[in-house]
Amino acid sequence: MEGKHVPTHPEVPGEPTKTGTAILETATATIQGFGPINKIHQHLCAFHFYGHDMTRQVEAHHFCGHQNEEFRQCLIYDRPDADGRLIGLEYIVSEELFLTLPDDEKKFWHSHEFEVKSGVLFMPGVPGPIQRQDLEKVAKTYGKVIHFWQVDRGDTLPLGIPQVMMALTRDGQLYDNLAQDMEKRYGVSFSEEREKRANMEGPAHGIHPLANAGSKGIQTVLREVDCKPVESVPRVFV
Amino acid sequence: MAATTGTHGQGEQIPPGKPMSTEQHMLDKGAQMLQSLTPVKQMNQHVCTFALYNHDMNRQIETHHYVTRLNQDFLQCAVYDSDHSTARLIGVEYIVSDRIFETLPEEEQKLWHSHAYEIKSGLWVNPRAPEMVVKRELENIAKTYGKFWCTWQTDRGDKLPIGAPALMMSPQAVNLGMIKPELIQKRDDKYNMSTDAMKKSRLEIAEPEWLNPQADYWKQHGKCFVVDVEDVEMKKRAPFP
Repeated sequence: MEGKHVPTHPEVPGEPTKTGTAILETATATIQGFGPINKIHQHLCAFHFYGHDMTRQVEAHHFCGHQNEEFRQCLIYDRPDADGRLIGLEYIVSEELFLTLPDDEKKFWHSHEFEVKSGVLFMPGVPGPIQRQDLEKVAKTYGKVIHFWQVDRGDTLPLGIPQVMMALTRDGQLYDNLAQDMEKRYGVSFSEEREKRANMEGPAHGIHPLANAGSKGIQTVLREVDCKPVESVPRVFV
Repeated sequence: MAATTGTHGQGEQIPPGKPMSTEQHMLDKGAQMLQSLTPVKQMNQHVCTFALYNHDMNRQIETHHYVTRLNQDFLQCAVYDSDHSTARLIGVEYIVSDRIFETLPEEEQKLWHSHAYEIKSGLWVNPRAPEMVVKRELENIAKTYGKFWCTWQTDRGDKLPIGAPALMMSPQAVNLGMIKPELIQKRDDKYNMSTDAMKKSRLEIAEPEWLNPQADYWKQHGKCFVVDVEDVEMKKRAPFP
């Protein structure tokens, strides 16, 4: 069985950007400040799958910034190009911070140990010895990923509700064709990298059983409710 | 509200964690030099505006959108809670033209909000960009719809991102949709601007002739949306975890 490739250039519907709009944005790009964006300093590449469906696997390009030594926040794109679609985000925390989370929250988070140790998570363009210094830390962390745009099912627009994503935790989960395709495009070898990361260690207390969707599965649902505060909404019967 | 100031003030640090080590700084600098980071370099606009939690419209927040245009009809935004370099990433907003919006299924349209009032009222601004430069863009945006998911409720003091994503709505010219004057004042002070003056200068921007009643669903129907999570059995091809 094969994993589904996302087409390389799926068209987001819409007219090409008008020249006037492009010129205007060149101006705003020059005049305005981009404080939070300038803090983004690394590109991590990996795969995510849906919390309720491992067979739907998505290539995820993370662009991350540190808030502090124990916390990173990442924007996730479907490809690392100028027309990449912003499909989600990820928060990455140290084991210490993860352990402070309420038990009910832990299921949203996934472990990174296997992703790192398997060689599948990597930093494109960064020499092995340098990226391994950072990945050694990542291996001990937990991540919370939300995707808003289901490009893997061919959505040309972001439809539906946010999805909680999980990541690889053992061999046999990732589709070989998706792995090989990525290795080819980036000139990397997951198996060679795996050997070099053999000595890395995961969370000091072991992977928490409540993490990784409570070791089970997780799915979001939408619920319609009366608006709050009730008294402020226009009523039919007064 | 010490909690909302986070790392920017004297309040409790949000998120918690040890300060950056020198080694991590070096690694980050190195990666930044070696990697091209192309998608994030496409952000061409900084927009400051306000949003309301759909599940609790009393809670209103100031938002900072960093915007990338994919084409004339589609924008994608990374949303932060301030414009500082320490700002927290709190969500993502997508913006589509009215033309695209009309093609969406009805159930989907319920999750989106209109932008006309936000523009006309002066709430939506491009900080530090002269109004005359962005006028044309504002005219475009007035006709668009947005879908904004918030993943970190820093306004209630969450030190870490907790819970399921929340659907956000845009300010509107009715009771529940009005932004509190103190929030606007705070923003005006920060940027040394006047939202009220903006509003007056935008009188000539045309109101859309038609706003789809499926958008701003709460306003038309008094119904709001909450995202829950359920424990389910994952569809697998190998054991998990």
